[in-house]
Amino acid sequence: MKAPFSPYLDAIAPGLKKLVELLREDFDYVSVLSTDSVGFTASISQRAKAVNHSTMMTERGSVVRVSRGGLYSEYAFNRFDPSHPELTAAEARRVLDEQFALLEETGSAVYDTPVLPDEPCVLREEMETGILPEETDLAALVEKLSEMSARGFAASEYAIDCRLRAQSTHVCKLFLTANRDMRQSYVFSEGVVMPLVTKNGRVEFGYEGVSGREGPEIFDRLSDKVEPVVKSAEELLSAERIEPGEYEVIVSPEVSGLIAHEAFGHGVEMDMFVKNRALSDLVTMHEGAKPEIEVASYAFDDEGTLAHDTVEIRNGILKTGVCDALAALRLGVAPTGNGKRENFEHKVYTRMTNTVFESGDSTLEEMIATVKYGYLLKGMQSGMEDPKHWGIQCIIDRGYEIRDGKLTGKVVSPIVMTGYVPELLGSISMLSRDHELFGTGGCGKGHKEWVKVSDGGPYMKAKARLG
Amino acid sequence: MENFILDLLKKSGADGWAVRDEIRTGWEFYFIRHALDQNRVRETEHITLTIYRAFEEDGKKYLGSASAELAPTATETEAEKLIRSLLFEAGLIRNRAYTLNPPCGDAAPLAAAPELRTIAGDFLRAMKSVKESAEADINSYEIFTDSVCRRLVTSTGIDVTDVYPSSMAEVVVNARDDRREIELYRMYKSGSCDAAGLKANVEETLRFGRDKLRAGKTPALGKCDVVFSTDDALEIYDYYIDRMNAGMVYQGISDCEIGKAVAEDKGGDKLTVRAVKTLENSSHNGAFDDEGAPVRDMTIISGGVAENFYGRRMFAQYIGLEDSFSPGNFVVEGGGKTAAELRTGKYLEVVEFSDFQVDTASGDIAGEIRLGYLHDGDSVSVVEGGSVSGTLRELGGALRFSSEQKQYNNYLIPAVTRLCGASITGAEG
Repeated sequence: MKAPFSPYLDAIAPGLKKLVELLREDFDYVSVLSTDSVGFTASISQRAKAVNHSTMMTERGSVVRVSRGGLYSEYAFNRFDPSHPELTAAEARRVLDEQFALLEETGSAVYDTPVLPDEPCVLREEMETGILPEETDLAALVEKLSEMSARGFAASEYAIDCRLRAQSTHVCKLFLTANRDMRQSYVFSEGVVMPLVTKNGRVEFGYEGVSGREGPEIFDRLSDKVEPVVKSAEELLSAERIEPGEYEVIVSPEVSGLIAHEAFGHGVEMDMFVKNRALSDLVTMHEGAKPEIEVASYAFDDEGTLAHDTVEIRNGILKTGVCDALAALRLGVAPTGNGKRENFEHKVYTRMTNTVFESGDSTLEEMIATVKYGYLLKGMQSGMEDPKHWGIQCIIDRGYEIRDGKLTGKVVSPIVMTGYVPELLGSISMLSRDHELFGTGGCGKGHKEWVKVSDGGPYMKAKARLG
Repeated sequence: MENFILDLLKKSGADGWAVRDEIRTGWEFYFIRHALDQNRVRETEHITLTIYRAFEEDGKKYLGSASAELAPTATETEAEKLIRSLLFEAGLIRNRAYTLNPPCGDAAPLAAAPELRTIAGDFLRAMKSVKESAEADINSYEIFTDSVCRRLVTSTGIDVTDVYPSSMAEVVVNARDDRREIELYRMYKSGSCDAAGLKANVEETLRFGRDKLRAGKTPALGKCDVVFSTDDALEIYDYYIDRMNAGMVYQGISDCEIGKAVAEDKGGDKLTVRAVKTLENSSHNGAFDDEGAPVRDMTIISGGVAENFYGRRMFAQYIGLEDSFSPGNFVVEGGGKTAAELRTGKYLEVVEFSDFQVDTASGDIAGEIRLGYLHDGDSVSVVEGGSVSGTLRELGGALRFSSEQKQYNNYLIPAVTRLCGASITGAEG
């Protein structure tokens, strides 16, 4: 079925169009983004349960972007009366004028930016989905998750709990300018199993998930993950610390995704990359809302730019980066559909969507057989990058020791993988045929501005510094 | 908030309910260098409804709850539909029965409504006053100032309102020489603007930037003491504070017990942590918590021994606490030595991590070193790269805290913390 567009947004659209028209009297550029996204979160464990109607992307509200004299300003609100758009227009003018007065008083200079183009575009995209979050049988879902939780709890003598979390969101966004009327509706869902185990005072979590631009039917796929993730958590209870050093590593698709995300997030200096840095020619990487169907796949971004498939690296050579519309205007390049807001209250930044390494032609077994001494790294906890200096930090759940081409059964945890991105990507020597994406987490800019992203790729063999 | 919401809740048949109404006005300014990139205003209202249902199954008593945000423009019909839905969903949630908070009495707001124009002006002027140089300057900064009014009304008779400011500044600085340009990141949170503190901290970060230009690679030190003198130390103290949370205890993540030591004695300073109702210029000063429990001063850990758990109503009752609350501010008392005394011998003072973390469940610590000062007697070398790792399960008992304290928004903690015997992975070799 098609995910239906919000009747609420359809109803207020005429009022919002009038708001754009009224503000056009005072400003060179006016756009409005309105959202009406609904969903739920069900959290079930052996010890506590909860259900609410919130997810990372549930929201209802609007934001107006205006430009005058080279300065862009925004007004975000969620008490809009479509029969009186002149009241919102007046309030936007009033509060922004107050800020302009303060800026003048403090002698603040303006970063002069041209007026955004406003090419005509009319779009109404209601994407395919299964069940809608708002029509989900929550009673059945709670029972299903409870059964999985009980099964996970029973699967280990060391288990003290097994948490399940299921979230589904029906996103509806409306973008309007004088020449644009763009409306999109889609559903994405994500679910995780997190067993909690303890032994001799040591407490460890396991983590496995499912995600996709699909409805709550996706949660059925969690069932097969319950026992394996409990086993992974048990392994951590007896895991040793790794001896710090540089190792041959094979990273799982999940860790490949983390590397893709952290290596090419947030402001890489691309000119340096092209001129001075040689990556492995095995590396080809895509970024965009278009090439994959995952949690960060949409028809247009929060500035009304259509989704792209941007090939950032092809055969080891950096081709281009990603850009929001205002940054693109300043840099003199085309926007790539990566202008995203945490929600209507937040500013647009250039953000990642789906960031993925292309696959190769090896099998995991072939890759392991080539490792003299190293680790197979699985499970990600977090990542962080240093955009200027191109350092990378990945905290990885666990490593399985490999000696002379064979897994020894020894497990180390946790692992801090650090290094210089060009060196890390330059050392990639094998890629598997696998292609997996992961979208159960979020991505912040600095330490805020959380948005949905997905990332992934194949198993990759490389050299990395582990601690 | 429309009056019909309370009327609908009262006649909904729910066994309990709560409405949180948060009205927020926010002013934001984004600068590239010192040129304004964008200015923004937010005017929003967020109304959150929680419905409780008491029920019994197989002789067991439960109190389930479900919550949702109701749009401030919602009609009475929409509100009624949402409440019906929540009533049904609350009946699906089999949480062991507990009681809701009674009226807390102290309903007066702690502060007058903040004046955003004044606070924002203070931030703008403070950032302009920072001393920069050709070698190290401000790349960009973002200023957020909010005026928050939150009201909580519940079925048990709670009707309280708090008004407070909440601010944040994010600053990115650059330093450069003819070899490279580097970047350092800082985020400052507070109630209103602490202009002098902000200026001093940004200027210190510029100094760190200049130092990073001459940094060598971190050697493979093996085991080494690490000194923390920035807000990264909060991760260490949060580990112990989180483990005293009733939710962590009830769920088995924390094994802390009242009257027992929170860390194995390995000769370090003994941790004392207090929850406090107010801390000067904190953005978490409130008379009541999110569930309407009155916030008060309370010792959580005293001399390294667990004294009082704290936390949300449900988990607090599950572990036998009747009048607990979720604190907004914490004070960690200083230790027996000065910062200068802690900075002796061989140690690595890391002032910039990529992302220093302590895992609340396992106590594992991890962070890539972006800038550190390796001290060995009188010699000091500036280093970068590599990482710090270890676990507080083993290292926590040997922590040393300076007698001097430093405030980071809602935390007042020792200005210097020494973690003895961490593992240092070098950046080479």
